Amino acid sequence: MLLPMFEFHEPLSIEEALELKKKLGQNARILAGGTDLLVHLKKKLVKTDNLISLSRIKALSLITEQKDSIFIGACATMAQISRSPVIAKKFTALKSGCDNLGNHLIRNRATIGGNACNASPAGDTLPALLIYDSVALLESYGKKREIPIADFFTGPGKSCIQPDEILTGFRLPIPTDHSGAHYIQLGKRKSSEINVVNVASFLEYDPGTKKVITTRIALGSVAATPIRAARAEAALLGQAPEEASFFAAAEMARREDCRPIDDFRGTAGYRQAMVGVLTKRTLATAYERAKGA
Amino acid sequence: MKKIISLTINDQSHEIAVEPNITLADMLRYELALTGTKKGCDTGDCGACTVIMDGDVVNSCLVLAIQANGSVIETIEGLSTDEGLSPLQEAFVEKGAIQCGFCSPGIIMSAKNLLDKNPNPTEDQIREGVSGNLCRCTGYQKIFEAIESQRS
Amino acid sequence: MKEFDIISTRAHRIDTPDKATGQAVFTDDITRPGMLYGALLQSPHAHARILSIDTSKAKALAGVKSVITHEQAGHIKYGVSPARYDETVFAIDKVRYIGDEIAAVAAVTLEIALAAVELIEVEYEILPAVFTLEEALKEGAPQLHETSPGNLCAEVHQEFGDVAAALKECDIIKTSTMKNKRQDGAFIEMQGCIAEFDNRGVLTLVSSTQVPHYVQRTVAMVLGMDVGMVRVKKPYVGAGFGIKAAANPMELACCILARETRKPVKMNFTRKQVFMYARARHQFSHTITTGAKKDGTLMAIKHECWLDGGAYTSFGIATVYYTGSLLGGPYKIANMSYDGYRVYNNKPTCGAQRGHGAVIARALFEQQVDMIAEEIGMDPMELRIKNMMDTGDTTCNDLNMSSFGMSECIEAVRKGSDWDKKKGNMPTGKGIGMACGFFVSGAGYPIYRSDTYHGTVIVKLTEDGGTALVYTASAEIGQGSDTAFAMIAAEALGIPLDHVRLASGDTDMGVDLGAYSSRQTLMTGHATKDAADHAKAQVLEVLAEQLSVPLKELDIKNGFITFAGDTPDFSALRTRYIKEHRGWIDNPDSEHLTFKEASRIAFLEKGSIVGTGKYKPHNLGGKFKGAAVGTSPAYGCSAQVAEVTVDMETGQVTIDSITDAHDCGKAINLTSVEGQMEGSVSMGIGEAMHEEVIFNDKGQVLNADLAEYKIVTSMDMPRIKAIVVESDEPNGPYGAKEVGEGAIMPTIPAILNAVYNAAGVRINELPLTPERVYFAIQDYKDRMAK
Ligand SMILES: Cc1cc2nc3c(=O)[nH]c(=O)nc-3n(C[C@H](O)[C@H](O)[C@H](O)COP(=O)(O)OP(=O)(O)OC[C@H]3O[C@@H](n4cnc5c(N)ncnc54)[C@H](O)[C@@H]3O)c2cc1C
Ligand code: FES
Ligand code: FES
Repeated sequence: MLLPMFEFHEPLSIEEALELKKKLGQNARILAGGTDLLVHLKKKLVKTDNLISLSRIKALSLITEQKDSIFIGACATMAQISRSPVIAKKFTALKSGCDNLGNHLIRNRATIGGNACNASPAGDTLPALLIYDSVALLESYGKKREIPIADFFTGPGKSCIQPDEILTGFRLPIPTDHSGAHYIQLGKRKSSEINVVNVASFLEYDPGTKKVITTRIALGSVAATPIRAARAEAALLGQAPEEASFFAAAEMARREDCRPIDDFRGTAGYRQAMVGVLTKRTLATAYERAKGA
Repeated sequence: MKKIISLTINDQSHEIAVEPNITLADMLRYELALTGTKKGCDTGDCGACTVIMDGDVVNSCLVLAIQANGSVIETIEGLSTDEGLSPLQEAFVEKGAIQCGFCSPGIIMSAKNLLDKNPNPTEDQIREGVSGNLCRCTGYQKIFEAIESQRS
Repeated sequence: MKEFDIISTRAHRIDTPDKATGQAVFTDDITRPGMLYGALLQSPHAHARILSIDTSKAKALAGVKSVITHEQAGHIKYGVSPARYDETVFAIDKVRYIGDEIAAVAAVTLEIALAAVELIEVEYEILPAVFTLEEALKEGAPQLHETSPGNLCAEVHQEFGDVAAALKECDIIKTSTMKNKRQDGAFIEMQGCIAEFDNRGVLTLVSSTQVPHYVQRTVAMVLGMDVGMVRVKKPYVGAGFGIKAAANPMELACCILARETRKPVKMNFTRKQVFMYARARHQFSHTITTGAKKDGTLMAIKHECWLDGGAYTSFGIATVYYTGSLLGGPYKIANMSYDGYRVYNNKPTCGAQRGHGAVIARALFEQQVDMIAEEIGMDPMELRIKNMMDTGDTTCNDLNMSSFGMSECIEAVRKGSDWDKKKGNMPTGKGIGMACGFFVSGAGYPIYRSDTYHGTVIVKLTEDGGTALVYTASAEIGQGSDTAFAMIAAEALGIPLDHVRLASGDTDMGVDLGAYSSRQTLMTGHATKDAADHAKAQVLEVLAEQLSVPLKELDIKNGFITFAGDTPDFSALRTRYIKEHRGWIDNPDSEHLTFKEASRIAFLEKGSIVGTGKYKPHNLGGKFKGAAVGTSPAYGCSAQVAEVTVDMETGQVTIDSITDAHDCGKAINLTSVEGQMEGSVSMGIGEAMHEEVIFNDKGQVLNADLAEYKIVTSMDMPRIKAIVVESDEPNGPYGAKEVGEGAIMPTIPAILNAVYNAAGVRINELPLTPERVYFAIQDYKDRMAK
């Protein structure tokens, strides 16, 4: 399969990239790992006259730890994120998302920025980005914005990124003690799979009162974008972290929070049912981890 | 417009003029006649085009040749030595891990990269380490056996 | 049993060192000087009349060398079985599915060829289309072929014994249905070809095919050439599984483009085109009634099946017959009826795929055997052994089991899986199940009606005497046939495998029907042995004369001549050989006369020593209509045990292990036999668990790539315990028979029986996606609650 002809740009700094973006605007696409974009170009699903590759901009693939947050550069790959000790320790659900994306080859190229900008409702890192309350860092020429991840996705394949903007990375607050998270994705086979449903949950409890004091639950593949399960979260907040309350929250997520559709990968009915099962299971494991944290 | 890139392929440096829209797989196969790297889909789904790029395995059908400018590339052709097949390649022959052989160059590159990074992989790590390489013929069993036999 | 030196070992394959180094050449690795690139225009509509085709803009594009439509390609019909030729290279007045070929372009680059295809203007009148069995069969439904009213491509009605009467005598009668989904071959090398004419008008087509012979005949017929002027060569092929078992329109278009341009032309399918061309497993809808006595004796099978065939016939006639005939075994059942129907519709055409026609029938029937066992409280293995055919038995539809190690296979998996301990003792969510299956070891008759030999082989000894060259037109497509024939030749000649070279896959080397119906080991193997025996006899004849030893006292073993009586003085021969060999330093000094010396002397006496071999099966099968399909000189058989875990909340099924025993007669190469078993199981798991070609309501494949069409990955594959059960097949070379397809037969029903054991649900539609299993469990819970 042939790629259409395009002009190739390889800026060495963010500034240079932003200048190009400003100049070329709609007529240029950002190339990160290329695992979505090159496929889409080959299949003629998208067209462009210019590709701006970010791979030579070192700052974009850094993972750095600050006092109470970490920064993950947009061009950090799945493999790289998964190898990061701080992520393995403090962001288990994100690591699990990265470990489950595609396969060992794709993970060496696929970036977290690409996964977010591709904005598939089934994206494997997206529920984790949601439950860790990430902030998307956007830049355009001479301008920066920070968008809470919950506001980032606007539809299937759509995000709030403007044509002259680049996603530079994410800031994730470091979870407190007594918190834990978990991610489960469900598909038909065990590798290279596009999810039928994927769910991540985060939970923090007060060891004194033994009550849930923070929870965030994110659902993938059951709406136009990955979503937070607000009603389920509300149902769990202030409850004792135990099977009954996880089940009640899961029921909320299943009945109230998700809006799946039928497609050739699965029916709405099944997806909805699985939201319940996966929510319950992710909460239970999140709590196990919180106890150990 | 063509651009000249320089890269190292199997320990040999190359300077080559490429169009921006040509993939690394196509450059290897059609410009440099390194046809050991196969293509079974051209969209990242099969792994037949697996090569090692700067120490990591990648789908060369999803890398632009121009993105490999300055990179070090290892392909199946670089694996055998003056003495013939590498021990890993021998193991694939000996264990019967090759049938039609169309997936084999890619799988062997994945296996090499896995063993380079982790000389003693567990069964799960072996499965994981070739998870992007589809093989329709063997059922993977003998591929696992071949890789297992190369644990240090 | 006879002792072998090379047969039944784990000899390394002769092709795999080159495959391990990337040196092995596949079609797309080849470039020819001045080569052009071809591209196809395929229909975007499922059913439409072609009102006009305008190629002028395409022709005008710089770099375009030829644009062809039916006007250049001609209107000669072709297909798989001559009685049902219903395809032309390009659509003439009508397109019948999305992907039907309309035109082709050759240009100096692929880019230009693809651009030119876009410039071909076709005016269509869209016709109403049918996509399902139901739609196609409805009164007044749009018709695909004028010659097939009601869109019925073929129907078969057979009865052996008296089914109605037998069912009346039964204590237990089970009726159930089963439906699979269209499968795709999903071989990793997409079809590709290069066609080239030389200046004497000889056409050479290099193609990724499993049947050079049939392709040669079809190309010659469609292009109006003598068969002798067409040479088809198959380089290494990245598997086929049945899909590459007939000439495809791209091969034909490529040859015509080469004829028009007098330049080599290369063409390749994209992965999407592989899905559009299809020709893989049909979708089958079966209803089977099985009757048994309460002692477990199986009495009768009543079988009805509807095949969703797609736009053309392809292998369909054979498929619809196979579907019925291969339920005749492996159990002793005296009464069987079959009503089979293959229906046309506006989807890509289905064809033959591993386990041709028989896989889903087997999947349903083997579940019914389990249901009967459960009802009478008998162990499923016991029930199967009780009813099992024995060596020498013939089925009600005249299939003769000349060797049959099925009961041994069952015993092997019983032990290998620890069945007796596990069966009945698995916790909820865990299950164990088994099934049996058998398959032909080569179709008894060629696809075109003919008395042709099914395989001819030449064995030529090099003039120095050292090496045997085997020439066969058979097709190594990954299964290991080249190695098997080299081993057979080495065994027959009595020389080490290293001294045999083999060239295959070229129609200039003889006739061989190719790699399908699990035929090559038995059939080409016979011809190879025949040719090697012939060559050996010529060497020994010369030797007998020169040494004045009776011929019958001479033999060759491990590269040395053996004498039944005293070793005669052969020093004169040795001296002569050494004289011939001046300058070399490896003169023979062993106390035995070497094969090399003997065959050099034979060359000096007689010129090139060339052994020729041939094979065709003896007359097989009954006299009834369709009796030919399902006949075979031998049948391979297998039993499998699957162990599964079912996640009762999500419906996810994990296959924990498969124990597989297969009777392949004498295993020529044990490693290759296991390889076929393991590969078959993985294809069976894929079909059972997640493979399905999905269409939208316009007849377009929605998942035409290997991301959404899900074959088994390394993460899904359970460990397989492959147990080779050897029997001695009287009709096979050295007692060998098939393994390539029979091994897929039990996989799906073994899994289905295990899922039932784990979760209590019988699922009558494939694949077992988590969703389908989940809803089946919910349904079961609801029923239990009531
Ligand atoms: C075989 C295969 C399997 C896959 N399996 C999975 C899977 O299991 N789960 C999953 O979620 N995905 C999967 N994917 C999809 C894909 O790999 C991921 O979405 C990946 O994260 C995309 O990242 P990338 O760097 O390759 O993006 P690219 O393809 O480079 O870009 C994707 C899109 O984002 C834009 N973009 C990228 N980076 C930026 C940036 N910094 N600023 C602005 N715009 C940007 C691009 O312009 C493009 O539109 C799979 C893909 C393949 C080929
Ligand atoms: S050809 Fe690159 S992954 Fe298939
Ligand atoms: S050996 Fe044929 S695909 Fe792996």
